[in-house]
Amino acid sequence: MPLFSKRKNNTDSKDKQNTDERNQEQQQEKERPVLISPSLAKNIAETKKEVGSSSDVIIREIKIGEQDHVHLAVIYISGLVDNNTIHESLIDPLVQDESIQNTHAIQQILEKTLPLGGVKAEKSWDKLFSELMLGNALIFADGHDEALICSTQGGEQRSIQEPSTQVSFRGPRQGFTESLQTNISMIRRYIKNPNLWVEKMKKGSVTNTDIALMYIQGICDEKVLKEVKQRLEKIDIDSILESGYIEQLIEDETFTTFPTMYHTERPDVVAGNLLEGRFAIIVDGTPFVLIAPALFVQFFQSVEDYYSRFDIATSIRILRVLVFFISLVAPAVYVAATTFHQEMIPTQLLVVIAAQREIVPFPAVVEALTMEVAFEILREAGVRLPRVVGSAVSIVGALVIGQAAVQAGIVSPAMVIIVALTAIASFATPAFAMAISARLIRFIFIIASAVMGFYGLILGIIMMFVHLCSLRSFGVPYMSPLAPFSSQGVKDALFRVPWWADEKRPESVSKEDKVRQGKDQRPEPAASRGMVNKDLEEGDQNGT
Amino acid sequence: CWDKRELTDLAIISAIGIDRTNDSNYVLHLQIINPGNVAGGLQGGGAGDRPPVSVYSIEGNNITEALRKASMKVSRRLYFAHTNLVVINEKLAKEEGLDFVLDNLDRDTEFRTTATFVVAHKTKAENIVKILTPIDKIPSNKVNKTLDFTEAQYGRVVKINIQDVLKTLAANTMAPVIPGYMMIGDDKKGVSMENTQATDPKAILQADGLAVFDKAGYLKYWLEDDESVGAVWLMNKIQHTFINADWGKTKDAVSLQVTHQDTKLVPKMRNGRPYIHVKVSVEGIIDAVKYPFQLSDPKVLAAIEKALNKELEKEISHTVKKIKKNKIDFIGFGDTIYRKYPEQWEKMKDTWDKEYLPELPIDVKAETYIRRTGLRNNPIKHQFKDD
Repeated sequence: MPLFSKRKNNTDSKDKQNTDERNQEQQQEKERPVLISPSLAKNIAETKKEVGSSSDVIIREIKIGEQDHVHLAVIYISGLVDNNTIHESLIDPLVQDESIQNTHAIQQILEKTLPLGGVKAEKSWDKLFSELMLGNALIFADGHDEALICSTQGGEQRSIQEPSTQVSFRGPRQGFTESLQTNISMIRRYIKNPNLWVEKMKKGSVTNTDIALMYIQGICDEKVLKEVKQRLEKIDIDSILESGYIEQLIEDETFTTFPTMYHTERPDVVAGNLLEGRFAIIVDGTPFVLIAPALFVQFFQSVEDYYSRFDIATSIRILRVLVFFISLVAPAVYVAATTFHQEMIPTQLLVVIAAQREIVPFPAVVEALTMEVAFEILREAGVRLPRVVGSAVSIVGALVIGQAAVQAGIVSPAMVIIVALTAIASFATPAFAMAISARLIRFIFIIASAVMGFYGLILGIIMMFVHLCSLRSFGVPYMSPLAPFSSQGVKDALFRVPWWADEKRPESVSKEDKVRQGKDQRPEPAASRGMVNKDLEEGDQNGT
Repeated sequence: CWDKRELTDLAIISAIGIDRTNDSNYVLHLQIINPGNVAGGLQGGGAGDRPPVSVYSIEGNNITEALRKASMKVSRRLYFAHTNLVVINEKLAKEEGLDFVLDNLDRDTEFRTTATFVVAHKTKAENIVKILTPIDKIPSNKVNKTLDFTEAQYGRVVKINIQDVLKTLAANTMAPVIPGYMMIGDDKKGVSMENTQATDPKAILQADGLAVFDKAGYLKYWLEDDESVGAVWLMNKIQHTFINADWGKTKDAVSLQVTHQDTKLVPKMRNGRPYIHVKVSVEGIIDAVKYPFQLSDPKVLAAIEKALNKELEKEISHTVKKIKKNKIDFIGFGDTIYRKYPEQWEKMKDTWDKEYLPELPIDVKAETYIRRTGLRNNPIKHQFKDD
């Protein structure tokens, strides 16, 4: 139970859990004055009451000034602040400065003493506490009804590392961290343009999580922006621990296996999408940044497509779509063909499959479902286990399922091949969110084809496409640019044309400024040929 | 294709043989694949010593009855979608024609009309279906592949499927020609696995001749080896074959390996009577030479080409004579006339086979072109002579 409700409207405490604690909290809340008092002792007592004397809240009382008659209290949370800043830029200057007068202590410190970037005066307890929780230090002075907020945020953070998901051969090696500020700055480094706007807000009544909405003014569609701001405002939840919370609270359609928002760990992906007119939502505390509006084809694209040459990128994209369909229908096709449409299998192959099935005691569909479930168990076990034990799982899985089950005649080798192919295919889909939706739908397809053969499978596929076409991501049709078709959009959908040919941004997403680049960008080979010829004339090495 | 059926409930039939007993009952021979014994190498698969197919013979008044009766003998549902061979008894084809078989097979939803059709020549259909074959484990595959290969390489046989037969029966004058298949050796020994375990099988299946049917679907006569090659030329179905020509006193002095050919039947009218001009253009490589030709000399090559032309014209004319004599236009001379002279054809069509065909002037003109003489120019003998 890490979270407890601190919502103000949640006073009807029907559940008796933690009643004592909660009542105490609420009482404190009611008692807490809005503004701070001039008495330092009272303020310290108030702070202690509010944070419950938590041991990581450091309250340092110091006396400074000529005769040490200026009473100050510096309050900060250890771990959230940068210790060097506290010592060198806060306490040290305060202690050194002897000119501070008791009457104007706050004013003087604010204007003169502190060599810090952000210092401001504040009276309201609410503000002060929220700043304290962000890792800023507070300075109270006796006899003053104002306190100072000093920006001392820091503390331990994960450094920028190579992202563990969406690895690429070519491209930047940096991935997002858990820090919102770092993440925003990483994107800014890609797009050095004042039109890159960031709107910050706090969500989660208990966690007070910082959320940043990022977009390029002038490229991002105004209507989409208005819509997303509305949806974000509507969020009223106690906690946001990961961007997945936001995704589920603002997505267009809940009852679908297909993701309508894209998430990524790579700043270059975010930059690329912002430039296409999408917006990004960055949540403090997670390296996964949300991007929307997301399209179906987007989940088959990888950053590398844009960095490598177009022919390779195009063929790999087509492979990915093919692979997605394999992971979707391979077992279903096997079941349908072997139990309904044996006439579709070439005779020689049929004989081989029949020979394998000869001793298998189950119908093909049971075999398929068993193996698929077994594989899902294996994968789930392998994902969650520590790496040391993980290899044991794969050995047991490979031996028991791959080898022993076949030798025992429980499953046929052909089925093992199909399941293995499906598994590898599902790993080859670049977006995990899309791969996992294929995993779910696959089971529906297996059952459909076991009941009605290819007829059922085709029905299932048609229904899936109807569903896909009905989806929207922030008002943008999910299947665009394929349906509705856009000749500009398909230049970078399943194919990718060379950069010089992709003159405009995708129509379905960017509504405002559509032109991406100038015309006639195609490199002119004639010019370089002239260079070569000239070289030959001058040097005349290869001419003869 | 609607019902769910597990593979283990299917008896995959690879070939059907149709015979008739003396008391005019039909006997159906179903060649059923034993998948485990074919694929082998897997669990439960000591494939070497057990037969890859089992043949069940069922007697009945008609084919439908026989098939229904088969359920008493076969433990699984009979599955015809993979049947690729239908063998019909020679005697049955002569006496009853193809009608009853074709109707039954074409009507069936499962059975494919792409199955090859053969006539059991000089043997019962039973033997063609029952003999076990080495190399290709499933006998029906062996028959099919042999036909494919012979048609392509030797040119004495054509592979015909049921659809082709139905099509030719529907044409104006064309009649079905169906390849014959015979068994050589001991049918008793051929049915056991021993047959496949010897280097010299005791019984083998062999493609043999072409059975010519009339328009009503009755077998009329056989074209054997050398006669059949002329027929295949006329059908324009030669892919590769050879032509031997004599040179002076040397028999078969030169053999040409045919690589490309095109045979055209050109119908013409002369004094209101039709005649057919057969134009054969052949391209080939010299395969073997027995006579010391100076092959590097183009004039010699031209002379050889002439000799080959003559030989080929002789081969084809021989068949043409036989066609005229038997009054069955299985090549479709009448169809070519109908296509070019539909009005005149109206008068001829009723009495074509009886009246016009035996009298039809057909002149054959071959044009051979020697593309290469192989890796050698002059024959070895020639070299010796020079030295």
